[in-house]
Amino acid sequence: MPSSEDQEFSCFKPLSTVLKSLHTAHRRFGLPWQILCRYQNIWNISLQLRPSFLAAIIMDSDMEEYREKVGGDQRIQVPTKGIYGFNSYLEKLRKQEYMKNELQYLGKFCQVPIEIPRDLRGVLIDKGSLNAMRFLTSVHIEYPEMLEKVSRELWMRIWSRDEDITEPWSIQAAAEEAGFSRKQAMSLLKKSSTEEVKNKLRENTNTAYKYGAFGLPTIVAHMDTKPCVFFSSDRIELLAHLLGEQWQGPVPQALKGKL
Amino acid sequence: MANLPRKLELFYDVLSPYSWLGFELLCRYQNIWNINLQLRPSFIPGILKDSGNKPPALVPRKGKYMMMDLQHLKNFYQVPIRIPKDFLTVILEKGSLNAMRFLTAVNMEKPEMLENVSRELWMRIWSRDEDITEPQSILAAAEKAGLSKEQAKSLLENSSTDKVKNKLKETTSAACNYGAFGLPTIVVHMDNKPCVIFGSDRMEMLAYLLALQFLGRLCKTDLLAPVSTRRSQI
Repeated sequence: MPSSEDQEFSCFKPLSTVLKSLHTAHRRFGLPWQILCRYQNIWNISLQLRPSFLAAIIMDSDMEEYREKVGGDQRIQVPTKGIYGFNSYLEKLRKQEYMKNELQYLGKFCQVPIEIPRDLRGVLIDKGSLNAMRFLTSVHIEYPEMLEKVSRELWMRIWSRDEDITEPWSIQAAAEEAGFSRKQAMSLLKKSSTEEVKNKLRENTNTAYKYGAFGLPTIVAHMDTKPCVFFSSDRIELLAHLLGEQWQGPVPQALKGKL
Repeated sequence: MANLPRKLELFYDVLSPYSWLGFELLCRYQNIWNINLQLRPSFIPGILKDSGNKPPALVPRKGKYMMMDLQHLKNFYQVPIRIPKDFLTVILEKGSLNAMRFLTAVNMEKPEMLENVSRELWMRIWSRDEDITEPQSILAAAEKAGLSKEQAKSLLENSSTDKVKNKLKETTSAACNYGAFGLPTIVVHMDNKPCVIFGSDRMEMLAYLLALQFLGRLCKTDLLAPVSTRRSQI
């Protein structure tokens, strides 16, 4: 499979577009991802999942603002876990409260079984997702056809059953639930801490950043003229419109009997 | 027996282009859905200060994204948005205090004109890149909306009274009490509790929560079918 982005694009050019969905195992990021997965066999698209690291994107985005204010090229170490930054919106309780309510509505509307973790702040800020995202990157390299399933299982742990996703046995459980054998899961887990995987995650995250991402999910649609960048789960109908595809709501007809 | 219309409050500020989108979408539906749409002119800097939130335009990447987003959305929603040339000055220096006080006065004295005057102010700032801070600008919008010169002048005078200033503060506080951290904020009064929705991109979800038929962003009434009587589960 070609590795450079230019080659990937020309490889998929006969299709109407190539969609890259950059995502992490975080909050409502499950929603656009779930919706795009539902449409990937209905619309004429090639959906490419790109596991990325949200904390780094938020940090970089905040740092850009900080640098513009104070000048110079100060670098702050990217956090190894959790999300924090000068303007981390999770620090703002009111947004957090809103998010809890909104996610309940969205879960029902999109038919995704979201349950807010009891210790939301702890899960998002203290615990984070670095190990999980490294693991998904490892899956992406070795078993790309399994990426969708393992991602879904990790989401189900954190965002439906309020279970841990940071410890090795948690990640292994998700992998096995997705269909990996214990042996495969352990091998992928071991690979997660190699430089190859860490670099690949950094590379995906930097790619998102280069597209102008300030958060995730970020969807990049490779249109005829130039890439079109969309943030969050609220632009999929717009995306359908730009692709000339039909939007059938968050649960398209083809799936209605199956959910 | 007809159901009572659901009360929907839209808290908005003409400084916010996304408020314009939410406003137009709800106006399209107010005669189709069984809702009682109540427009609530508010003051966005008050909400941002109270919640500790920051305008997206101040985060460089969010600002850039917003420019691009609005170009897509204006076509998608068919609302004639054009970014002001000196965007940051318009948003951060000029602001909308006088305009929102004027709209508050309109809401108190001539509520039936609130929709038209709000729209004319949006057309000025967010479509023709015209001023909305000077008295003559506000009067021009009011007259274009259908108010006479005398009515417009009288409302403008009332705008600077304590009564109107306090009413604007009160409406802004009400939004904050609902948990608003930005605008537009829509509050849907459901049977058991209010449902608060931020942003202009949740209409389809709103329709779902209210068990109403969504006819798309352009509200295509030729697609109208009997409205479902299913009660929402929220």
